[in-house]
Amino acid sequence: MTETEPTLFRLRVRYQKAGRLIYLGHLEVARTVERSIRRAGLPFAVTQGFSPHMRIAFSAALPVGTGSNDEWYDVILTSYVPAPEALARLTASTPHDLAPLAAGYRDMHDETLGLLITRQDYLIRLAGCDPVALTGALDALVAQGEIPYRRGKKHKALDLAATLAAYQVDADGDGCALTLYTRSSNAGSLRPEILLAAVDGHLAGAPDTPVTSGALDTRVLAVRSVTRIAQYGVTEEGARVDPLAQDGAQGHPFF
Amino acid sequence: MRVPYENRFTEIEPLLAHVEKPSRYLDHEWGTLSHEDAAYRACLIYPDTYEVGLPNQGIAILYAALNRTPGISCERGYLPWIDMADAMRAAGVPLLSLEGAAPVASFDIVGFHIPHEMAVTNFVEALDLAGIPLFAEDRGEDDPIVIAGGPSVYNPEPYCAFFDALLIGEGEESIVEVCERHRALRDAGASRAETLRALADVPGTYVPSLYEVRYDEPCTRWGYTVPREGADVPPVVYKRVARDFGATDPLAQSIVPYTELVHDRLSVEVLRGCARGCRFCQAGITYRPVRERSADQIVSSVVQGLARTGYDEVSLTSLSTTDHSCVKEVLTRLNRRLEGTGTKVSVPSQRLDSFGVEMALAVAGEKKGGLTFAPEAGSQRLRDIINKNVTEEDLERAVRAAFEAGWRRCKLYFMMGLPGETDEDIVAIANLADRVLDIAREVVPKGQRGGIGVSISVAVFIPKAWTPFQWCAQLDDEEVRRRQQLLLHSVRSKAVRVHYHDAATSLIEAVLSRGGRALAPVIVGAWRRGQRFDAWTEQFDIARWEEAAREAGIDLHEAAHEAFDLAARLPWEHTSPGVSRGFLEREWRRSLAGVTTEDCTRGSCTGCGVCPTLGAENQLVGERA
Repeated sequence: MTETEPTLFRLRVRYQKAGRLIYLGHLEVARTVERSIRRAGLPFAVTQGFSPHMRIAFSAALPVGTGSNDEWYDVILTSYVPAPEALARLTASTPHDLAPLAAGYRDMHDETLGLLITRQDYLIRLAGCDPVALTGALDALVAQGEIPYRRGKKHKALDLAATLAAYQVDADGDGCALTLYTRSSNAGSLRPEILLAAVDGHLAGAPDTPVTSGALDTRVLAVRSVTRIAQYGVTEEGARVDPLAQDGAQGHPFF
Repeated sequence: MRVPYENRFTEIEPLLAHVEKPSRYLDHEWGTLSHEDAAYRACLIYPDTYEVGLPNQGIAILYAALNRTPGISCERGYLPWIDMADAMRAAGVPLLSLEGAAPVASFDIVGFHIPHEMAVTNFVEALDLAGIPLFAEDRGEDDPIVIAGGPSVYNPEPYCAFFDALLIGEGEESIVEVCERHRALRDAGASRAETLRALADVPGTYVPSLYEVRYDEPCTRWGYTVPREGADVPPVVYKRVARDFGATDPLAQSIVPYTELVHDRLSVEVLRGCARGCRFCQAGITYRPVRERSADQIVSSVVQGLARTGYDEVSLTSLSTTDHSCVKEVLTRLNRRLEGTGTKVSVPSQRLDSFGVEMALAVAGEKKGGLTFAPEAGSQRLRDIINKNVTEEDLERAVRAAFEAGWRRCKLYFMMGLPGETDEDIVAIANLADRVLDIAREVVPKGQRGGIGVSISVAVFIPKAWTPFQWCAQLDDEEVRRRQQLLLHSVRSKAVRVHYHDAATSLIEAVLSRGGRALAPVIVGAWRRGQRFDAWTEQFDIARWEEAAREAGIDLHEAAHEAFDLAARLPWEHTSPGVSRGFLEREWRRSLAGVTTEDCTRGSCTGCGVCPTLGAENQLVGERA
């Protein structure tokens, strides 16, 4: 940073993706958040160049149909607005289902969200599903190490050994609650729908059924919801690092 | 019993994961205005997908007007894309409104926007999905009243059978009057027939069932429409007009969508009407008189609208924004106010002179994409016939100024098949394009010439009702194709790209533009054969239309390619934008003689008759440049 550059502030915001708005795509969410920031009247910084735009960065894209209570963005401000005030203004200017839940400042030199976040946890609620059978199918897939799948015309493979850190199956009413602890890196991340499609193949007694990305058409599994419940980093020592430590202003989660 | 008003979102939710762009069907956007509890409910439907329909300013204006009327709640509807429509039919879910996710058939009144002729099969598709009888005459006491209005309402006859009433002209006042009257009638227990008769008394309201088609005077094959024997309704329904345009709400738009739209920005309507008098142009007649908002009102609305919506782009809309008498002042002030906010100002349609380029430059910023000009005809002779008051020198100056200012791409719009057009006029289009390319190569510095792009887009001229060319035939398809080939072979430079329109779509548009009530079975027949979303090239199939027309005993080619007799009564003369027949006839004769007519906002009154007929007048806020 040079002497002449104005002082900038990095506001980090945690928000949810809930209700009907789980059906928004990543770009639609990003566009809506930017407009919310403009409506909130926050002093956002603008990039230089041919087509100036808001200086904002989001955590990794969430698929259409997947909800979350732990999404993040960093927006660069040109002047300081106390975090509780920024959070209140954003709450008033954002559609309820994308409500901001917490806001706080991070140093301009701190790691970006993209570098910091390497872990994503998902909660998947499945109706009418036997926990023992589900665990059996997951164990078989983990033993297999990877799931081949097709994305459009491209053949790819989901590397479970690298991306699935752990999982947990709990009884949930007449069904199961499956928690996935996943790792992401430049090499890839775990898309829950691909794992679910493969699990479905196992449960249907046809483990070799080809898996495709895109809309999930299951034969056995009845997916109630897929929700990202946490995103964080891990230090070399294995300690969990939250994108915003306790100093941030907290809003109220809606679910 | 009327279908109950209830939220049925849970029935479409399971379909969302399997359709394209589920965000089309979600609602819950920022800025919706409807009320959960209301004594009277209206649903306004745009007959195309969400992303095409949401930016429509007409609907935004009516939506705001109805929702601020006590006791009335207005919701929106769009036509689900074919994947969703098919999924809804398979699941037994009817067409739902957006805000309340309630069946469209449960509303008191359903209003369709008529953006253009090619929307006709979508009216049928929407009514069918909604479970409302397609024809007004088949509807019963429990069905909603179905109304329509919009820019393409000036020959309502081909599709009027689908609607109980049509609102002619500007709707911000009349739709509120119609809904309030309907509410009172409903509460008084009026029958459907009594209701429709009473709605015909609201000025600007055309109730087709109270009129009939006759053939007993000189007329076209479609006949002419007059009040039914004994029906005490006006022989001519004149359009409604906002006489004091400056007093209307400049910021009707309130909803900010999630999904990316065709026009994804704030729009502020800075003026209404255009009096340049191009003789092919229907909007140039039907939006008269010319009314401008003041510079103060525009600037404050833009600033307020951006803050309210969070948009990063604003468009100053109208038929000819650079004709606004204060456009220069407005752009200067906006540039100053919006500096450093990353906000883009855009002005649709460039005026074809150096002032137009100056204004384009005022909003362009660093990044200059392409500039679009519409000379419409290649030769001066033909431009005089159509009254496009632009000279070769205007065009050359504008193009030169544009390339000097840094633009590298230029697109020119033309029409083919204009009255009086000869092969020389087609060749002149090619020559003009070549000339523009020469100017570009002369002006643009040597190292940057690779970026130069000149393209021309040539549409087929379609004669429209209420224009001086309303009596003209459309050029037949084979001749269109011959002239397209002539054009292609006349362009010297390979660097000029030539685009032209499909003759088949133009054929249907031409038939619908000047046809009559006898076309309703053709529209329904085309829809029954699978036709919908005709405006989407990949969905359009002329064969279905031809089959449907054959079944109805109508020859589409004959209908489109027929000139009307000047003495004949025309199919649309009972729904009028206020222009006098004498003016249109005079303009037609002047065009044949190559005599131009001036713009009444820059010269004297040309006697079109709109002002005295409607009791309105031009409202300018300054001298026009």
